[in-house]
Amino acid sequence: MTPDEIAQRFVAQFGDDVVTDVSYDTATVTVPRESYAAAAMYAKTTRGLDLTFFDMMAAVDEGEDGFSVVTHLYSPIHRHHLLLRTTTPRENPTVPSCTGVFRGANWHEREAWEMFGIVFDGHPNLVKLLLSDEFEGHPLRKEFQLASRVVKPWPGAKEPGEGGHE
Amino acid sequence: MGLSDQLDVPQPIKFVLNWGRKYSLWVFNFGLACCAIEFIATSMAEHDFIRLGVIPFAHGPRQADLMVVSGTLTDKMAPAVKRLYEQMPEPKYVISMGSCANCGGPYWDSYAVTKGVDQIIPVDVYVPGCPPRPEALLQGIITLQTKIQNESLKDRYTREPISAGASR
Repeated sequence: MTPDEIAQRFVAQFGDDVVTDVSYDTATVTVPRESYAAAAMYAKTTRGLDLTFFDMMAAVDEGEDGFSVVTHLYSPIHRHHLLLRTTTPRENPTVPSCTGVFRGANWHEREAWEMFGIVFDGHPNLVKLLLSDEFEGHPLRKEFQLASRVVKPWPGAKEPGEGGHE
Repeated sequence: MGLSDQLDVPQPIKFVLNWGRKYSLWVFNFGLACCAIEFIATSMAEHDFIRLGVIPFAHGPRQADLMVVSGTLTDKMAPAVKRLYEQMPEPKYVISMGSCANCGGPYWDSYAVTKGVDQIIPVDVYVPGCPPRPEALLQGIITLQTKIQNESLKDRYTREPISAGASR
């Protein structure tokens, strides 16, 4: 199945709220967050898609647009990929948990929860995974202050083209 | 240890006792990152720190004299390092190997990395490098052995109990 065909399956199933994009021979399907877990179940169980392999899940801080959650799925039968994406606003970010569909999503969602503060509804054990128990804050959010950087700023340019560095 | 920790033993006896201790360092490798690979290289045939009396594969911290912290210490791992250090019997020594264990190294601004193992346990010798070559670790071991050779056991055992952040 081509990436375009995969994307069209999701539009047909979940309606016009689905945004699709195809780049580097991979379909990216952005679904409303209410249908995120349902879309994962659809991707896994639909004949022809068979996206049964949960590769990884990650979150992205999109600034004022909130956060996006991206899940990479793979079909070992058809050898095609899917990036299943959803977004959540910055205030009170919640996304349905995928653990009911892919048990392997458990730790990925725990990590996204501690790093970004995204709550995964229906997760069986949403506790810290990598950070120490007493850690406060969500360190991968853009507004998170690194204490060492307050004392000593980063010695150089952070972005390409910033002043002072050729 | 008997009398040697209560009396100032005569110099020749002290020399022999320390000479025996410094060439029998059962080492406990706290391998946390890539420095552990250099540590392993130091223990293998080419560099072979057994010829200096450093004996790898201590059965556990309770059988070890020397702990080499080789790698990046995170805040999550720090309590385990402290606990295993406390399980080692006296006299015990710590070598901090590599930039991460020394001061946080390239992770100086990280939210999760402890800025040096000396924040939780006392360190005897720091080996700089990222990672240090095996020769650097050998130099660190020799430095530690020189320190042991000149050590007074009485001073060692009558000092204050070790607490976090204490220096020797």
